[in-house]
Amino acid sequence: MIPLRLEVVNEKTVQLTGLDPLVADCLQRLAEILAHRDAPAARHRLSPKPSADAAFNAEWEQFVAPDLHHLFVSAAETVLRDLTALETDPQQPNVFRVAFPTVHRDAWMSAINQARLILSAQFHVTDQAMERRDLDPRRATDVALVRIHLLGWVLEMLVNFGETEAGQPGPATD
Amino acid sequence: MPQAGPIAIEEPSTSTALAPPWNVIVYNDPINLMSYVTLVFQRVFGYPRAKAECLMLEVHTQGRSLVWSGGQEQAEHYVHQLHGYQLLAQMEKAPA
Repeated sequence: MIPLRLEVVNEKTVQLTGLDPLVADCLQRLAEILAHRDAPAARHRLSPKPSADAAFNAEWEQFVAPDLHHLFVSAAETVLRDLTALETDPQQPNVFRVAFPTVHRDAWMSAINQARLILSAQFHVTDQAMERRDLDPRRATDVALVRIHLLGWVLEMLVNFGETEAGQPGPATD
Repeated sequence: MPQAGPIAIEEPSTSTALAPPWNVIVYNDPINLMSYVTLVFQRVFGYPRAKAECLMLEVHTQGRSLVWSGGQEQAEHYVHQLHGYQLLAQMEKAPA
């Protein structure tokens, strides 16, 4: 298996390397997956109810949810722009890499997590389904599960990259 | 010059009972990575890694975890942030 890595290129840039064709394909399909963001199931998952109070939730939907939607769209746009730099690694045939600004790391985490959640909502993925290993590439649900796992692999890399004890370089966001 | 008499001082009202706190609850979902949820708790609440991991494991094993209690406005702020990280979070009034 090709080792997937997130490497520092310079003080402003990182690079995902060792992307095998399946993972690269998942990243190239992010736009297609994220386009389902406003489908009812996905919307329900990405904009959960903040409380059990119907009146409060209605206000939230009107005043807060649009802000979150904008946040998600903005992160996705950043990543889709970065992904135009996805290229074959000149050192390794059939292996891909993509460099992007280090400050875009949060946008990458957001967009990849959105994609995983959208797929899970679209295909009604359960805890049990996430444990399955007998995946059949002819079944759309199983293809979605493979994509959720592969994107999770990339997300794990991003999460673990350069974390401090406080979870970020600056103070907590209060 | 008039003599200064005793000044009546009005007793402060003692009827300012503290409002019941609000709880912020995070629910389990099959997709969010454990490492990601830990990171989010560190970032949003400023919890040290050990506490964030402990709460994440509670979410994972119990299906939910009370991750913070306090004033309503702050609870709303935290739920907003948690939703921004795509976690399933709700706020509820703590039982009296």
